[in-house]
Amino acid sequence: MVAFLAKRLVLMLATMLVASFVVFAVSEFTPGSVARKSLGPFATQEQVDILTEKLKANDPLPVRYGRWLGVLVGAIPDPLQDPTNGLNFSDPRGARYFGNFGYSTLYKLPVNDVLWDRLGNTAILAGLAFALIVPLSILFGVLSGLKEGSGLDRTLSVLCITFTSIPEFASGVFLVTLFVILWPVLPGTSPLDPSGGWSVPSQMVLPVAVLVIYDFGYVARMIRVSMIEVMEKPYIRTAILKGLSPRQVILGHALRNAMIAPFTVLLLQLNFLISGVVVTELVFAYPGFGRMLLEASLFGDISTVEAATLVTVAVAIVTQLLGDLGYMALNPRIRLR
Amino acid sequence: MKAGQLHRRSFLRFATLLGLSAAVAYEAIGEVDPTLSAAKADELPKGGNLRIGMRCMEIKSPHLADFAERSNVIRQVCEYLTFTGRDNITRPYLLEKWEASDDLKTWTLHLRKDIKWHSGRPLTADDVVWNLKRVSDPAVGSSMLGLFTGYLVEEYETGEKDKDGKPKKSSRLWSDKAIEKVDDHTVRLNAFAPQVAVPEHLFHYPMFIIDPAEKGSFGPGSNGTGPFELVEFTVGKSAKYKARKDYWGEGPHLDTFEFIDLGDNPGALISAMASRQVDGLSEADAVQINAMKNFPHVQVLKVETTQTAVARMRPDHKPFGDKRVRQAMRYAIDHDKVIQTSLLGAGISAEDHHVAPSHPEYAPLPKYGRDVEKAKKLLAEAGYPDGFEIDMVTRPDPMWEFNTTQVLAEQFKDIGVKVNIKALPSAQYWEVWTQVPFSLTAWGHRPLAIMTLALAYRSNAAWNESGYSNPEFDKLLSEAEGILDANKRKVVMAKIEALMQDDGPIVQPFWRVFSTVMDKKVQGFKLHPSQYIFANECAVSA
Repeated sequence: MVAFLAKRLVLMLATMLVASFVVFAVSEFTPGSVARKSLGPFATQEQVDILTEKLKANDPLPVRYGRWLGVLVGAIPDPLQDPTNGLNFSDPRGARYFGNFGYSTLYKLPVNDVLWDRLGNTAILAGLAFALIVPLSILFGVLSGLKEGSGLDRTLSVLCITFTSIPEFASGVFLVTLFVILWPVLPGTSPLDPSGGWSVPSQMVLPVAVLVIYDFGYVARMIRVSMIEVMEKPYIRTAILKGLSPRQVILGHALRNAMIAPFTVLLLQLNFLISGVVVTELVFAYPGFGRMLLEASLFGDISTVEAATLVTVAVAIVTQLLGDLGYMALNPRIRLR
Repeated sequence: MKAGQLHRRSFLRFATLLGLSAAVAYEAIGEVDPTLSAAKADELPKGGNLRIGMRCMEIKSPHLADFAERSNVIRQVCEYLTFTGRDNITRPYLLEKWEASDDLKTWTLHLRKDIKWHSGRPLTADDVVWNLKRVSDPAVGSSMLGLFTGYLVEEYETGEKDKDGKPKKSSRLWSDKAIEKVDDHTVRLNAFAPQVAVPEHLFHYPMFIIDPAEKGSFGPGSNGTGPFELVEFTVGKSAKYKARKDYWGEGPHLDTFEFIDLGDNPGALISAMASRQVDGLSEADAVQINAMKNFPHVQVLKVETTQTAVARMRPDHKPFGDKRVRQAMRYAIDHDKVIQTSLLGAGISAEDHHVAPSHPEYAPLPKYGRDVEKAKKLLAEAGYPDGFEIDMVTRPDPMWEFNTTQVLAEQFKDIGVKVNIKALPSAQYWEVWTQVPFSLTAWGHRPLAIMTLALAYRSNAAWNESGYSNPEFDKLLSEAEGILDANKRKVVMAKIEALMQDDGPIVQPFWRVFSTVMDKKVQGFKLHPSQYIFANECAVSA
């Protein structure tokens, strides 16, 4: 088990390194230099040249990547924060510490000040959505999987497929029209700031609803298939024949086995919820991680994009790990490995 | 006023210019100063909070402010020496009055004596001199430099050579005496050339008077002479203000004021208005207005402006080096169709010379319309009988800009010019806007056309995005800047306009009508053509 976890940890670090290098290399192709972005569009070329020189931004790519890694682990101070370059960038944590993601050229703040705040907001959004998606999809999946082809199965399937096929921007606009304009009971945007007269919880309702509507049907379909498969297994027939109530059969025998495959799918939804909520965050002006990643990418704010990449990769690998561990717990045969 | 000789607006402009107060000038033509009659400040409700939806972009220094949004954040804290009203007439603001010499070379600025910084220190001539000198320093990079060039600032060769072997140029104040302190409340500008637009220049976005002690920085707690103190500012999120108790001017009537950043999504702005999360927007385009005009609590505001977008072509890039090609591009455009399609009709036709009919110096020229045959003939003469293919850089938002690009591209197609639209996100667009051969750029409102022309088309001006350089144009512009008599100036303006139509680097389809929405509970708000927001004029009823 220890060896397994250690192997996973090494794999995770390697993946993050590769991903961060790829982002670094790709950012080469976006127009505009770090110096230009720090100084703004109307600085003179002379000023930009001087800063480029100071930041050594013309060094070869591997050298600059090495420097970025050095800043990240705290081996060298962040060159953008050097007081001699006159940018007035400063980080209350100092210029040199472990986990220093550098300075955001878009938000003009240390990346650590933007990133964790935004990630926290998205985690709340994703957590609430996940907390609804899991029971809803299990309920819908199990109910329709119990009797394949029944009226209930057909109805629920149509419902699930319809919801899943509505894109988030469409359901967002639809919900806003219904609950904000025609029947004004909810706020139309979610800046997470209560001073507009709408409480923060009320601002969560619509974005969470959009995510749940988009996502739960897909997971329910996965659970349905798995449930159908399990319900055809001989041990279910045995259980029914030996006189157990349907409730005992489903909860005691079927559900655990039926959840093995969908479990991974469910955990993958966490990835989607952390980094795939861009559309929802845009529609509701939600100050989240997805919108930050989008804005930073469009602006070419490399420090922020790098940090966000590392977080995204970490989330993906950790959920994968959790998936595997959960798989082991649910299916004893896998534990032997 | 001799009947028929002077345009009403020109009279007002020149009466105020010569030191008459706007109120007296209006009286002379039998009208009441609209800013006075509108401002029944005593009747406005007191207290409360006002929230306006607007992008909150990062701010490097007030003297580098370039977008109305950026300057709006600063404007509640720092102020200008002059104020150009919604009627395009400029009045003294931090100034008590100004005096211009007959040759328009010496401008004496008299500061009000009752103005105090937040910190309690009185505003002095030293502060003003420091600010004027700072924006004239090329190392600061303020766009004021472009306006000051030609009368306060001169260009010189540094003696160094650039990569191509051309001598490097820089700018400096033409004399140590260019900006001079007379006494504690008087500053004198000594120009080497006449300039009529000095009061208007002093109202340009970045010409804030800031505290020299802060060395050009800006943030929460920054000192200023304005009605509010900035309490909190987060890029991409919000700016929050607290009213100041001892403000010298009107208001503030509110206790607190906020700008809320709702992102780039136009739908989010509508949603926020619908659920009253904001009390107004800094701007709403025609499509958004259509969606919101039926909300019972919303009022729609509109103002005619000299805001525009120009498709500008760099003459130093092929194929735009040939002026016949630039002319052909102008003949390819049906102005009215562009207005209908990209602004839903909310605009008036422009004439490709960047001088608006509402500018006091506008001189009417013979109209010319779309002429595809003539355009094709000009292209053929220039050596492009089959047209050519070119990239046109633009931004995907705001929507009207992108739509305009698309409509223009369609119309250019009819003369054989194939335009590939390259949409860059705003941030990247502003990286390259002064370099790409062909692009569409939005321009803000300016009360005088000579200001825009000086910013955008004078050789080597900071915002000269097309790299246009025509000694004849520069000479005519300097001449126009030095003429006091409106009728005489129009003669020169007619030459400039004709020159722009003949040789200029732009295709200009329209002038925009600027619009926005406010909650009906908002009082005192007056939509300014410059998109400037003055929160001290606003009040909210409970």
